[in-house]
Amino acid sequence: MVPVFAVTGGRTRSAGLDLPVESMVSATDRWAGDLQKEYRVIMDLAARPVALVEVGAELSIPVGVARVLVSDLAEAGYLVVHAPPPSTADGSPTPEILHRLLEGLRAR
Amino acid sequence: MPGERSPIPLKIVVAGGFGVGKTTLVRALSEIPPLLTEETMTNASVGVDDTRAVPDKRTTTVAMDFGRITVDDALILYLFGTPGQDRFWFMWDELARGSVGGVVLVDLRRIDDCFPAVDYFENRRMPFVVAVNGFPGADGVARETVRDALALSPDTPVIRMDARSMDSCLATLVALVEHAMERSAVMN
Repeated sequence: MVPVFAVTGGRTRSAGLDLPVESMVSATDRWAGDLQKEYRVIMDLAARPVALVEVGAELSIPVGVARVLVSDLAEAGYLVVHAPPPSTADGSPTPEILHRLLEGLRAR
Repeated sequence: MPGERSPIPLKIVVAGGFGVGKTTLVRALSEIPPLLTEETMTNASVGVDDTRAVPDKRTTTVAMDFGRITVDDALILYLFGTPGQDRFWFMWDELARGSVGGVVLVDLRRIDDCFPAVDYFENRRMPFVVAVNGFPGADGVARETVRDALALSPDTPVIRMDARSMDSCLATLVALVEHAMERSAVMN
């Protein structure tokens, strides 16, 4: 715990991105070998698209702390944040996306 | 990677009283071992969190479990089991925002336990299904009895299921998505 909170400098809110828990990030091509250990662990996880909440769980840190670290990496160009699902005016997923989800679940 | 489709995350909130089977449902469906994550509750929740028992406590963490289902080549569905206690409502808001909807798990022996979850989804006009988990004694109870006891609107689906069975849990999610689509069609 301590090293990660040290990395965030005690911040539990990022000045930058307000990412939902399910937002997904992927590593960019930017070389991350000189980053601090916690950041590098995240970069390894993000070799494939990974959700913010998974980062928190994998590092055993609260989601709020993961959000700060992931936002830092995104703002510095190490991670790309994928767009949220297309949504309607009230913020819920569009009928097209729901239809796709339904088809996918039925096919299982 | 060229040609790779951008992932699209969706989420469903699994709610209900303590010990009703939320973790069991997530475990039955998830392709990863259900993971625990924590959220930190800070001074922002003073007045919400009942800290009378521990007056010096400034922060606390709450664990919630979640699972993942890869639906197709881009769509990924996350399932979130809500923290059971009322004082963690602030977490629900974060989980509920932008979600497909909710599954309210019910244990008929303790039906009152699911009232807060039903109220939450109704107040926010979120689509949800009531899933009666197959505890002993659940067989003989009619769905209309559950509907009446929970004062559900006529269009809210009530499903009998078994949280230990993957097929049964999948059918529950399918019922929720169908309901969400119907709701969406009515509203637009």
